[in-house]
Amino acid sequence: MTAITEPRIGQSYITALREKMPHAVLEERWQTHNQATITVKLDALPEAVRTLYYDHDGWLSTMVGNDERSLNGSFGVYYVLSMEGAEKCHVVVHAAIPEDKPEFPSVTPKVPAAVWYEREVRDMFGLHPVGLPDERRLVLPDDWPEALYPLRKDSMDYRFRPEPTADNETYKFVNDSKVETTVVPLGPLHVTSDEPGHFRLYVDGEDIIDADYRMFYVHRGMEKLAETRMGYNEVTFLADRVCGICGYAHSVAYASSVENALGIKVPARGQAIRSILLETERLHSHLLNLGLVCHFTGFDSGFMQFFRVREKAMTLAEMLTGSRKTYAMNLIGGVRRDILGEQRLSTLKLVGELRTEVKRLIDILMSTPNFEGRVKGVGRLDPQIARDYSPVGPVVRGSGHRRDTRADHPFAGYKLIDTPVHTETGCDILSRTLIRVAEFFDSLAIIEKLLDDTPTGPVLTEDFTYRPHQFALGFTEAPRGEDMHWSMTGDNQKLYRWRCRASTYNNWPVLRYMLRGNTISDAPLIVGSIDPCYSCTDRVTIIDVNKARSKTISYKEMERYCRDRTDSPLP
Amino acid sequence: MLKLLREVFRTGEATVKYPFAPAEVSKDFRGKPEHDSVSCIACAACTIACPPNAIAMETDVEAETRTWSISYGRCIFCGRCEEACPTGAIKLSADFELAVARKEDLTTKAVFRLAKCRSCGEPLAPAKEVAYVADLINAFCTSPEEADRTRLLVATCPECKRKHDVEQVASLGIERQLENRR
Repeated sequence: MTAITEPRIGQSYITALREKMPHAVLEERWQTHNQATITVKLDALPEAVRTLYYDHDGWLSTMVGNDERSLNGSFGVYYVLSMEGAEKCHVVVHAAIPEDKPEFPSVTPKVPAAVWYEREVRDMFGLHPVGLPDERRLVLPDDWPEALYPLRKDSMDYRFRPEPTADNETYKFVNDSKVETTVVPLGPLHVTSDEPGHFRLYVDGEDIIDADYRMFYVHRGMEKLAETRMGYNEVTFLADRVCGICGYAHSVAYASSVENALGIKVPARGQAIRSILLETERLHSHLLNLGLVCHFTGFDSGFMQFFRVREKAMTLAEMLTGSRKTYAMNLIGGVRRDILGEQRLSTLKLVGELRTEVKRLIDILMSTPNFEGRVKGVGRLDPQIARDYSPVGPVVRGSGHRRDTRADHPFAGYKLIDTPVHTETGCDILSRTLIRVAEFFDSLAIIEKLLDDTPTGPVLTEDFTYRPHQFALGFTEAPRGEDMHWSMTGDNQKLYRWRCRASTYNNWPVLRYMLRGNTISDAPLIVGSIDPCYSCTDRVTIIDVNKARSKTISYKEMERYCRDRTDSPLP
Repeated sequence: MLKLLREVFRTGEATVKYPFAPAEVSKDFRGKPEHDSVSCIACAACTIACPPNAIAMETDVEAETRTWSISYGRCIFCGRCEEACPTGAIKLSADFELAVARKEDLTTKAVFRLAKCRSCGEPLAPAKEVAYVADLINAFCTSPEEADRTRLLVATCPECKRKHDVEQVASLGIERQLENRR
């Protein structure tokens, strides 16, 4: 472990926890000056996480399962908490689970945000969360062989794909409504799309009473792939491909997780360039979502205009990185390309053009008569639900919570500037849209600021030695919210474990609450407002509770209804 | 509504003539990697650097050849090969139109001859790689004799080198010297 010279941030939380729960904390390890991992006794795990979460302004960023049997004879679970109280830092609560008894007390009853993570760790590692209210599989298909846990080191080759045994899904969708409802299934597959999800809307007439959904139809097994087949430096390119919109944010998060683990000091210029590119990515991503919001509210001319202007952001990325989408700019230790004087000038020119053009388009959008009517008060995310489930990005900021990784835990070039954070209290689609608008203009300002006084010097350092079994967090604020990566280095220049959590993962669980109480024609709009790397949900099954009838409606039809709001497709 | 109309008129035609006119790409665009088999020495540095294993090397001892290949279907256009190449034999071009009618056409190959070990005659390494190293040696060696000796070493297979070492050590007669000293 490299010596940490800066003063430690976050010690007070651990001290408070030790006082509240004497003898529960077994070990305390610091990865960086503001990242600590504490090992607690297994039965103290739920209370330790709850204390940090609710008593000390913690938010659950991710949870990592790890098969450490070859290292210390146990499985590990790591609950990553982003501490956003007086001291901003990350505290990771770790508990060791014995090999012969692979179960642990579930945290979900105390902290609901843990629900998806615990379902996933049971699927992937066979670690049973005792007391978890939701016993269904999350990631694995329904007919995946029992007792085959993909991420255990001794379970399977990364290329193994069991044959499907059933044609139909047996997944049990949950409906909490008290009245009788009709089911509207939406999804799961579309022949031309790569991001399927299956939604079930439980409706009474036109009103959504409850909703359930399942994702992971296209789980790509990236974590297993990275651990088995790729070298640690190649994974930056794989991380670029986690998302088709905000892949660079993942690449930076991954690279900084390894840099944090090995104590690598990335040159300031490399850091600034990373931030410039992250903001470039935000430009095109937010324009995409603003375009989609137009599309879903039936304002297709606006959609076309936003996508026309978005092309300038794509050109900007192409000029700076050599590619419109997969930037391939990161290596462990910095970036691969510098920004030259001439590129700087063209960037400033494009930024100026984007500012004037988007200003005009926003003006048009906001003065479109029925826009506000479609988005105001629709898809409400209650601030308390947001507090319980730790959503991220514009979704949580739209419900009044001031959370932005760039400001809370400055990384890369954000250490050099002050990042403004926008919040809205409307809790609706309008709030989320307004936040994206404000952030778009912030991004332009950040790019200008960083280009104006970019630190000089190298952009990449190779001055480090790769050491096995070091771990740390890496994080970025992607356009959709915080991306959180946890990496543990391994032997042979490979990773021992790579845990990658995309921002939308934290936003899916709250969607259910956002859908409740709205009408079916708003469903695509609400789903679009969390800006999921858009799941092309193909069909919707609508189940009318009162009539006990079910009808499957094509997604196209559903989307048409959302835009036109005439000729209801319901039976 | 009027604002939108004004924007539409201001914009005019937003589309381009592609594919009927060429599409411009940025100056340092990362497109199709072009391989120059003349300057390539088949050292396999690109094979190791390539994250998706699009570049591969296959050695056929029987035929005494080594085949370099790239599959443009697997390539992610990251340009790590270009960075790794010691001779500048692979460069990313601005070409992005890679569609082909048959899958096999996505793969490009180059076959290199293997040099034989000076001592045993077994295939050793690509002839061009051995020649490349031999050329470099002149720059490092102080005397022509030393250069000749090192060149010979480079063209010898590890197995033979080991054998020669043993023989050399034996010929020094360490045992005898030890005896004498006693």
